[in-house]
Amino acid sequence: MTAGFSYRSPVLREELLDLLAEHGASARVLAGGTDVMIDMRAGFAHPKVVVDLKKVEGFSRISWSPSDGLIIRPAVTINDVISNAKIRQSYPLLVECARDLASHQIRNRATVIGNVVNASPCADMSPALLCLGASAVLSSKEGQRVVPFREFFTGVKRTVLGVGEILEEIVVPPESADARGAYRKLKRIKGHDLGIVGVAAMNNDGVLSLGISSCGPTPLLVDGLSARDPVDVAVAAARDAIHPIDDLRCSREYRAHMVEVFVRRVFQEVA
Amino acid sequence: MKIEVTVNGHVYERDIAEHWTLLRFLRESVGLTGTKEGCAAGECGACTVFLNGKTVNSCLVLAAEADLGSVDTIEGEAKGGELSTIQAAFSRNHAVQCGFCTGGMILSARDLLSRAPKPSVAEIKVAIEGNLCRCTGYQQIIEAVLDASGQLTTANKGELKYV
Amino acid sequence: MSEQPNGAPMKSVGVSHPRVEVMGKLTGDALYTGDLTMPGMLYAKVKSSPHARANILSIDTSKAEGLPGVHAVLTGHELDYRLGLYVVDKDILAKDVVRHFGEAVAAVAAETLEIAIRAVELIAVEYEVLPPILDPMEAIKPEAPLIHPDLGSYSYVEAAFSPQPGTNIANITRIRKGDIEQGFAEAEWIIEREYTNPSVQHVPLETHVAIAQWKMGDEVTIWTSAQSPFTVRNLFCTAMRLPLNQVRVIVPHVGGGFGGKAGIHLEPLVACLSRKAGGRPVRLQATREEEFSLLPCRSALTYRIRTGVHSNGTITAQQMSMYWDAGAYADYAVNVTRASSYSAAGPYEIPNAWLDAYTIYTNKPYGTAYRGFGHVEFFWGLERHMELVAQAIGMDPLEFRKMNLLKPGSTTLSGEKITEHTGNPLKCLEEAAKAIDYSRLTPEEEEHEARTGRRIGKGLATLHKAPAMPSFTATASVVKMNSDGSVVVNIALTEIGQGCNTAIAQIAAERLRFPIDKVKVAVEKDTDKEPYDWQTVASKGLILSGNATILACDDLLQQAYGDAGQVLHAAPADLDHDAEKIFVKHRPDESVTFAALSIGYAYPNGNGIGGPLIGVGRYVAQGLSNLDKETGQGLPALDWTYGAHGVVVDVDPETGEFDVLAIASVFDVGRVVNPAIVRGQCVGGMVQGLGTALCEGYIYDQQGRLLNPSFTDNKIPTAKDIPDRIECMAVETAQLDGPFGARGVGEHPMISVAPAIGNAIQAATGAELMHMPMRFEDVWRAMRDHKPIDNWITDSPVGSCRSDLTSSRPWLEVAVPSQSEPVEEEEGVTR
Repeated sequence: MTAGFSYRSPVLREELLDLLAEHGASARVLAGGTDVMIDMRAGFAHPKVVVDLKKVEGFSRISWSPSDGLIIRPAVTINDVISNAKIRQSYPLLVECARDLASHQIRNRATVIGNVVNASPCADMSPALLCLGASAVLSSKEGQRVVPFREFFTGVKRTVLGVGEILEEIVVPPESADARGAYRKLKRIKGHDLGIVGVAAMNNDGVLSLGISSCGPTPLLVDGLSARDPVDVAVAAARDAIHPIDDLRCSREYRAHMVEVFVRRVFQEVA
Repeated sequence: MKIEVTVNGHVYERDIAEHWTLLRFLRESVGLTGTKEGCAAGECGACTVFLNGKTVNSCLVLAAEADLGSVDTIEGEAKGGELSTIQAAFSRNHAVQCGFCTGGMILSARDLLSRAPKPSVAEIKVAIEGNLCRCTGYQQIIEAVLDASGQLTTANKGELKYV
Repeated sequence: MSEQPNGAPMKSVGVSHPRVEVMGKLTGDALYTGDLTMPGMLYAKVKSSPHARANILSIDTSKAEGLPGVHAVLTGHELDYRLGLYVVDKDILAKDVVRHFGEAVAAVAAETLEIAIRAVELIAVEYEVLPPILDPMEAIKPEAPLIHPDLGSYSYVEAAFSPQPGTNIANITRIRKGDIEQGFAEAEWIIEREYTNPSVQHVPLETHVAIAQWKMGDEVTIWTSAQSPFTVRNLFCTAMRLPLNQVRVIVPHVGGGFGGKAGIHLEPLVACLSRKAGGRPVRLQATREEEFSLLPCRSALTYRIRTGVHSNGTITAQQMSMYWDAGAYADYAVNVTRASSYSAAGPYEIPNAWLDAYTIYTNKPYGTAYRGFGHVEFFWGLERHMELVAQAIGMDPLEFRKMNLLKPGSTTLSGEKITEHTGNPLKCLEEAAKAIDYSRLTPEEEEHEARTGRRIGKGLATLHKAPAMPSFTATASVVKMNSDGSVVVNIALTEIGQGCNTAIAQIAAERLRFPIDKVKVAVEKDTDKEPYDWQTVASKGLILSGNATILACDDLLQQAYGDAGQVLHAAPADLDHDAEKIFVKHRPDESVTFAALSIGYAYPNGNGIGGPLIGVGRYVAQGLSNLDKETGQGLPALDWTYGAHGVVVDVDPETGEFDVLAIASVFDVGRVVNPAIVRGQCVGGMVQGLGTALCEGYIYDQQGRLLNPSFTDNKIPTAKDIPDRIECMAVETAQLDGPFGARGVGEHPMISVAPAIGNAIQAATGAELMHMPMRFEDVWRAMRDHKPIDNWITDSPVGSCRSDLTSSRPWLEVAVPSQSEPVEEEEGVTR
């Protein structure tokens, strides 16, 4: 990395949003750095200003209330999720997906919101958030808007996030609390690897949702299913939803096969 | 930009370029070369250090982020001229071959034992999953961590068998 | 060179002594080349080719040269030097032609890394991109474009190699033993199959790095992460046309080598940058991505084996064809071809054998030495083949192997006669089979199947290897006594993690009868100070340097006894010694300490006798001979280390995912010098073998670009990937000329892991895997007879892959002069 950039670490939310408004596309938000640093080194990103949001007051908090649900903020790391008592108790699917993300050192830094905003088709947290019906609260100097995750991803590494906007809160609805969840991830080794295929499932009182990664330009949500229907219904719906490609990791044929296998297995676990 | 970082208990005030990683800062500015660069991409763990009490890949951390923070590197592991329990266990159990991964490996082990004083083999594997080793095949490293946590027995310690 | 002279039990050899150099590695104090900075040091960066094959039309370095802080910019035409261990075919920087993705076309030295990176970006290269030749079976055809049109003008080691000018063949090695036609005529079954594996990277944790300073008077000092300081010096001086005394090579701690650092790599470029920068030291460290593409890898191999057997299982004939895809330069690959040839049939008796092995140039990163030196590559094919042959004739694979294993009186492919001291391959195989309960599933295993739905399979594989080295390889060891009676050992055999310093210290301690903490083995290697050693490769270090060290100890003791005899007025033959002193055998109170003799003995009146005690030992491989170029007959092997693996896997029949549940590895090491270190090699090599079996391999697109030049898509095993049950066993059939009976085992633990796993997967599911690595998808496809996916040269542009290559190619007519008619070809199995 040779690019000169200036580093800012605001402590106030307003300061953060001002900086992003001021610098627009030449600013890059830094959370855990596990994607941004790699992008900068590879030359995919050349910001003039790197804005570290980890010191902003309140940004490390995870909160829960029966009315608001679970709220995850920008500096919450993957390991924070794994060790949070409420999430373990009421949203275990998030913990299951988080456990399989990279390595312990990465999990100490990578943030949930960073994982989502990076919007890789193989992101580990996205399938679960889709299943859980989570929404994204997007903030900028201009104001705030709420976008359900099913509308958040627009393409490979692309989201509806605009210039100057941050994803300030992930809101997981209280209705999804205590639902049954399961996750399967195909890797090339047992050790840390990105997902070749990922399938998350949630059974919320008979309503079944699937979140599928690495089978399309964005993570996919397959909902409107019933856990009381035969599993073939879910399998068929998943098959229709996915458009896997051949790449150097896997063929589309095997991806499609593994989605089917995983759907059957997560269904068995949650139904 | 000026930063002030406590490394292994000593405070260092330095003027650094903002794009410098914590890894580079430690190796070139502070002069502690025990933390290694193996991939610069957060995959191999040779650059593992403690930042504010948590293990991180220092190749993916900006030095600027460590301002007013504290960092522990492998050079801080031995104290008062004595190897730590973990270091001694690594030596006894032949957990070191070329040594390039060793610093990061020991710190990951230390982190584990501070969270789980009697870890299982499965927990050890998770803790060092992000520390690649090409030489040892990991088994003797796992035995060293079992030894350091007082759990090594004749049942779980492998030996070369003569036939 | 075997037991202690008086038959006493050993105190140092056979003990799991902690590594002698471990302290610095534990504390972070150990300095590796990348940790060193020299006053005024500059940082280098390389400009690499994005193309696999191209003409360089122009290189404009003006902007780079004008950048403040840049002290040197180099391009190929400024460097009129050629490199090559065996075939001198490589420029330091590409001149006119680029031959592989990642090849260096220019280089920069600047005051900071940032300036160097920026300068490289400012170098403008104009390429005429040409279609690359990626498939070795296409490259070998007579009409293929030539990657080295000047092959005929390159100098090469004529005693060992046969390059074919006017082709893309860098070398042909042949073995002709017995009467192949007669052998096949006698066979009741003929089985012919083809096996393939891709290029693979060593992945040392420390990437290649070198510092060089080219001073006034052409005095050059090089600090480098290398396995062979003398080879670096020698090849450097040959290429640069300098006298050896003017070049000094220093090797500090090395963060892994695995063969990738065996030869010469970055050093010439870095030295030339230093010279151009007016003699400032320059350091170049490869990034991990450069490690995968700028630095070399392991050749890919296509291995075709045709075996004739009687119905009772005895092999009558075997015809072997090896197509080594060596990439853009010959480097070590020609020797990998040669060294694999006489080993290619494995530890089995083949009465009639025919082998043709080709080293083929292609437009890919080139193959260098890699642990096993060809054996990992060809044992994949060989041990899968033994399994398939056994199955074809309806015989148990264990019994089939046992029936054909080498035994005392057998002859190898190169005509060497095996004796009972060579080693015990049968014992290795039997113990491996026993350790995994090969012939049955245990109750626990049956319960595991029932509980998980996975199917368990068990597989075996044997292995052998002799050191691949010149027939006259020699080394020396110097043992110097300090004034307190302790000793320092100087050897140029380099510690790269394999534990040689510790083993040598133990051998010296044993021979001297000193406690090991009185023996220091110098860690840093320096060609000005260490005596010559050829290279730290080939698993020959223990024998050659071990023996040289024993001789050096004997030499030191002889000097000490001579001096002691004077002091004690006794004949040396009447003296004995312990850790502290030399004494008269029959009047032990009459003694003199080693310390008192160590740097010259002083009588009470002041007279001095003797002098510093310095023992020198030199040892050369004895009685070895070159291979006949037409028949491959000769005596190339210093020793043979035999081994075997037994592997238990479980396979998910729905997905092809599999787990190695247990692996038992057995090696006949002659004598275990340090059990924990032998175990460390065993486990470490096994896990490296697991990686090569499961997930490692270079993937290119049709333009020859490497699609996986980083850990993102070139995975190596983590701690989570190791089997739950790992057993390591040692057989000790003494190597009569080995130090205390020992022979090497550095490479062997990796060699046959992959075929053992492949055999186990086949036993579990019937899936017939012919190509390494065995990804889960490959297993799934093989279980369903789906077309296999060639994951090694993809048919599609960057970002996607698909190919329709079948696993067995039709036999290709190879237009290379051969001595006699090839045997009649038939696919698959014939009876």
